[in-house]
Amino acid sequence: MSAQPKADGTTPYELHELMVCRVAAEVDDEGVVVMGSFTPLAYASYMLAKLTHARDVYIVGFDAVGMQPIQLSFTGAEAAVYKGAVCRWGMLEEINSIHLSNNGSVEAVSSAQFDGSGAINLSVIGDFAKPKVRLPGGAGAAEVIKMYRKMVAYFPDHNPRTLVDRVGFVTGTRWKVGAKAREEAGLMPGPIIVVTNLAVLVKDEDERPFRIESLHPGVDAQTVVDATGFELEVPDSIPTTAEPTAEQVRLLREEIDPFGTVKFDFVSGRERLAYLQGILDAEWERAAKAAGVSTS
Amino acid sequence: MRNKVVPLEELGELVRDGETVALGGSWYANHPMAAVRQLIRDGRKDLHAMTIVGSVDVDLLAGAGVIGHLSFSMVTLEAFGLAPNVRRGIESGALGFTEFTGLGLLIGLEAGHRGVPFLPYRGPFGSDIPAQYPEWYSTVACPFTGEELTAVRAINPDVAIVHALRADAEGNAQWDGTSGPDVDMAQAARRVVITCEEVVPRETIVANAHMTKVPGYYVDAVIEAPFGAHPTSHVPVYPLDAWQLMEYAGAASGEGFAGYVDRIRNESEADYRERVLGNGRDRVLRSLVEEARVLEVSEA
Repeated sequence: MSAQPKADGTTPYELHELMVCRVAAEVDDEGVVVMGSFTPLAYASYMLAKLTHARDVYIVGFDAVGMQPIQLSFTGAEAAVYKGAVCRWGMLEEINSIHLSNNGSVEAVSSAQFDGSGAINLSVIGDFAKPKVRLPGGAGAAEVIKMYRKMVAYFPDHNPRTLVDRVGFVTGTRWKVGAKAREEAGLMPGPIIVVTNLAVLVKDEDERPFRIESLHPGVDAQTVVDATGFELEVPDSIPTTAEPTAEQVRLLREEIDPFGTVKFDFVSGRERLAYLQGILDAEWERAAKAAGVSTS
Repeated sequence: MRNKVVPLEELGELVRDGETVALGGSWYANHPMAAVRQLIRDGRKDLHAMTIVGSVDVDLLAGAGVIGHLSFSMVTLEAFGLAPNVRRGIESGALGFTEFTGLGLLIGLEAGHRGVPFLPYRGPFGSDIPAQYPEWYSTVACPFTGEELTAVRAINPDVAIVHALRADAEGNAQWDGTSGPDVDMAQAARRVVITCEEVVPRETIVANAHMTKVPGYYVDAVIEAPFGAHPTSHVPVYPLDAWQLMEYAGAASGEGFAGYVDRIRNESEADYRERVLGNGRDRVLRSLVEEARVLEVSEA
């Protein structure tokens, strides 16, 4: 799986790796990033940042505070975060100490619906009291996406049913977007960044729509506009999203995510369960071998 | 020292039909699953379950007809999809629900713990959730600056059930890995049931006193339940059992779920452990914790 450079000197990579690298680029050495449950793309991005350009970023995973980078796996991620962590907290300590006290730097979320104001819907499709689809709920995202310095929303499938004009129900929202409005409200100034399988969008003013910051290689602006349900500002000249370096691809494939957990969110339909089963088989096999147990 | 240790089979005497029961754990971590199974065996009805981030715990209770209302900020089977029974229950109108914002629910518990009627915070401004529940969310002006804040009403569950690594007979309970909202729930509830991997002598607790997160004076009962969070995790003893969770997700999505529930109802907790952890599966689960890896950070 190691990434050999192509004849033209570039490194072959997959789309999810480009997205991980772009989300990772938002992480810097200041403040704290927090991960709850095992969300592979966010985990991979933070691990990559911690291993490369943001070694001083403080990471909380589950209740493990100040964790070291870990190898990703569905069954091992939680156990791994505690092995290098300097402190253990519970939820209330965590929300008081990080979210409510303005120590959060980057909050990465994904949602069923997302709109041009920076609102997310993780609650319902249809009527709230008797919904057509009851979604999982937003947990802390309802409050947290407004509190963190940067909000990053990521979507493996950029389409107008997900990126909508107006969400059907606002579970949470960025609330104040522009730097001045945020500071007046006691919030840290910082943008909303949207990273999808097609492009990167950014919004940093309340009254101005999202604009296309960069297009992934081979994607044109009209494709992005057509796939987006809210108004987009399309600059005359749009750069191409930075492609992963050979070292980033190596770290992702060999160190951070050898089981391929991030790609799971990019597999759809019937293949999805089979893909997950394959990863779990590999995780089981390694552990069974180490335990000297021959079961399947 | 008062001995609060009771067998799991007596849980039904500690939780009455219709009560509000806060269930510890979050994500796929550390839900009090042995207690969940026992509530099913006891045939409890109309419970109001409360979770911060629930998964198989509340979904199983919903599917088994144990709960009539669910308060939550998130319920998900993560990689295995939406929670089928909770989803069906809410979409059909059979299961009452209160969707809290995550911080709001925790701050409500904090108010309950402190004995104040509400607590203010810079809340989920712009969210549609507070307007759905004027009985839980309101606004309040800061008496010093006039700033408008979100107010959350105090939450005092009738019972909190949380799963610890170990506890002594007095109920002094310790965690090493994820405790999630367990302490916050235990502090706010009127009664507290600790289930734990192991009941230990007081000396063991004293030797690791820094790990005690719930002191015994909060606690009403202690129940020894090895693998009591299974198929969710109790790190560092075992991780989530993804294979059992996959089986659960499949059963909960299909026609055969009644059989899944009946099997739990008709077997003891010891039978359950033998069934799901036999043939060395318990050793592989422990090995998954051992094999979980931290990456070396090379010096630049």
